Amino acid sequence: MIGNLPFVVCMILVGLGLWTLLSRRNLIKLAIGITLIESGVNLFLVALGYVERGVAPIYTYAPPRAKMVLPTPQALTLTSIVIGLATTALMLAFAVVIYRHRGTLDARKIRELRG
Amino acid sequence: MRLFTGEGHWSPLVWLALAAGVGFFAWLLWRWGRRTYKAGTEQDMPFLSGERAPEGAHVGAPHLYWGFLQGLRPVLEGLRAFHSGFVGDYVTWMVVLLAVALLVVVLT
Amino acid sequence: MTFGVHAPILAIAVPLLGAFALPVFTKLHRSLRDIWAAAVGAFTCAMVITVAVQVFTSGVQVYTLGAASPTASVVQGGFPIRIVLAVDGMSAFMGLISALVGLASLVYSFGFLKEEQGKTLAMTLFFLLWAGMLGMEYTGDMFNFFVFLEVTSIAACSLVGYRTWESAPVEAAFKTMAMYTVGGLLVLLSIGILYGEYGALNIAYLSSKVVGSQLDKIALGLLLGGLLMKAGAVPAHMWAPDAYGEAPAQAAIVLVANTQASLYGLWRVLFTLFVGVLSAPAVGWLVASLGALTILVAVLAAVTQRDLGRLIAYGAVSQIGYMLLGVGVGLAALSSRQDWGLVAMKGGIFHMLNDAATVGLLMLAAGVVRRATGTKDLASLGGLGHDLKWTSGFFLLGVLALAGIPPLNGFASKFLIYESSFRLSPILAAIAVLGSILLLAVFARAFQGAFLGPRLREARPASPAMLAAMGILAAVILAMGLAPGFFVEHLVGPAAEALWRGRDLYLAAVLGG
Repeated sequence: MIGNLPFVVCMILVGLGLWTLLSRRNLIKLAIGITLIESGVNLFLVALGYVERGVAPIYTYAPPRAKMVLPTPQALTLTSIVIGLATTALMLAFAVVIYRHRGTLDARKIRELRG
Repeated sequence: MRLFTGEGHWSPLVWLALAAGVGFFAWLLWRWGRRTYKAGTEQDMPFLSGERAPEGAHVGAPHLYWGFLQGLRPVLEGLRAFHSGFVGDYVTWMVVLLAVALLVVVLT
Repeated sequence: MTFGVHAPILAIAVPLLGAFALPVFTKLHRSLRDIWAAAVGAFTCAMVITVAVQVFTSGVQVYTLGAASPTASVVQGGFPIRIVLAVDGMSAFMGLISALVGLASLVYSFGFLKEEQGKTLAMTLFFLLWAGMLGMEYTGDMFNFFVFLEVTSIAACSLVGYRTWESAPVEAAFKTMAMYTVGGLLVLLSIGILYGEYGALNIAYLSSKVVGSQLDKIALGLLLGGLLMKAGAVPAHMWAPDAYGEAPAQAAIVLVANTQASLYGLWRVLFTLFVGVLSAPAVGWLVASLGALTILVAVLAAVTQRDLGRLIAYGAVSQIGYMLLGVGVGLAALSSRQDWGLVAMKGGIFHMLNDAATVGLLMLAAGVVRRATGTKDLASLGGLGHDLKWTSGFFLLGVLALAGIPPLNGFASKFLIYESSFRLSPILAAIAVLGSILLLAVFARAFQGAFLGPRLREARPASPAMLAAMGILAAVILAMGLAPGFFVEHLVGPAAEALWRGRDLYLAAVLGG
């Protein structure tokens, strides 16, 4: 059971992020909510790749008969972090522009497009 | 050229031939019409219930289907409210879709 | 033939290079930029066509990245360790759609975009989006699919919102970005689950190993939710009218093609990855009902629109419903292998091509209207047919094709969908027909409002490049309308077969026997 704890934490993070998205109105907080979901998913990917007492998969430096860690999940997580950086930056940039036009960050007041 | 559906088939060429026939009939009707018509005279004026229409009268798109829209009004108002423009609602509906998809997939 | 082996990766890499080199060429000279953009566009289209010809003549094409030989997709032990591009009939067909729409968008943007309003930026983003779409369609690797999905998300949202001097486009971009990011993260979460279970990301390998555990089902549900959102299925469609309506015309048509790339991802997941373990009738019914719901809701919402761009946007969303309906019916009939299931899938897949061409044509014509008059409000438009003769002709053609008036292409694909969805459930077929009728009413109103009536104002005529772009799409529409049998037999048929019973061929091509 204790081995599953990281996954539970990830899902809690994802849930918190979704709850932020559903309950908050401020555009910056919405961006924070999305970042929370992202962190949860990234943590999930890293937790998948954990090997107990594993070493980095560099054959010349690894001690003999040591368990090695497959580097794929780390590579996936790095890629995902970079993508997350781009999306977060873009969302915040949009939020800044919206604030300049409307003078508010309240998502309930930014409803020009509806119907 | 033909498209088979298992039940029947569809060929645009047959349709084009039929359309040509109908077009010919329409042309005959048109030939049958008044020969005293002249463009650029009073005969050009739009006819609105015997009244002389004001210059540049244009029935804009929002006036079309007025009765139909009036009849459907409760439904359409509901649809407008459904698309509220609040980004939190968008995400809520996505979560609903996700929940339905998960339920259908997991329960079957 | 040796060069043709590399065509799949070149179709993705060249537009990427084109995107990032474009601003450099602008610094040197603008005409250099235009020549570069035209060259990259032509080369990409040539590569996509090369791939399609190879796939339709000799079967699934596999390209392994980073291997000594492009065909060495598995290492010893039959485990695919490298990223693989796998192009089967369906992928090649989607590539053709993307190439067609991309070509029209590129030609149009030469005449449509203004230098002082970020022409270079918009073209750069367009090439990024194009590369991302082709990547989504050609890749054979789940994580790679996610990366290209996010590339398209970022490029698409930037294209919607780059006109920061107006407030509505940025609002649409923010909403779309929020939806896209959450949807993308759902997809990533499910990829993580699959990786945790099977230790691989290759679609073919996963498909051969997947056992249908509870975790697999959760992963499938997450993928369904994320991809249906990105495809614009009701009730998660709300970003789509906002984004399509506010994006500039040359970007809006690529957004539609991007939506279809997400639909392709959904088909790939359902028909290749999970086909062995999912309960096909239930999921098929889900997809088909969502399709019918999408048709109904989007068309009724389109009736009330007063903005030309938004009206066409809702029309575009309703067309997604027909694709979902067609392929959903096919999926429901998959396990019993009924013939009408294949017909329904042909209809749904043919409709993707039809939708790209007709909705694209309508959006481009709406862009001309916007440029000519400075407004898209139907209440203040009217009589544009006096000045914009070609544009009104193209718009009328698009309206008739979209509403499925014979003998145009929309009828051919909807005919296939009606007859076969009637076999599954008459209610679905009735909704499809009703949606089509309402759609004709909606678009007749848009045409009347914008183009007919007395001349209300002077309109600026469309530039030759814009007319040429619309001409390309109109020619495709007429060709598909007059020879539907040819297109269904040679393009749509192989694509539908690749989903219907091509999974084993796909697996064999990637995993080697």
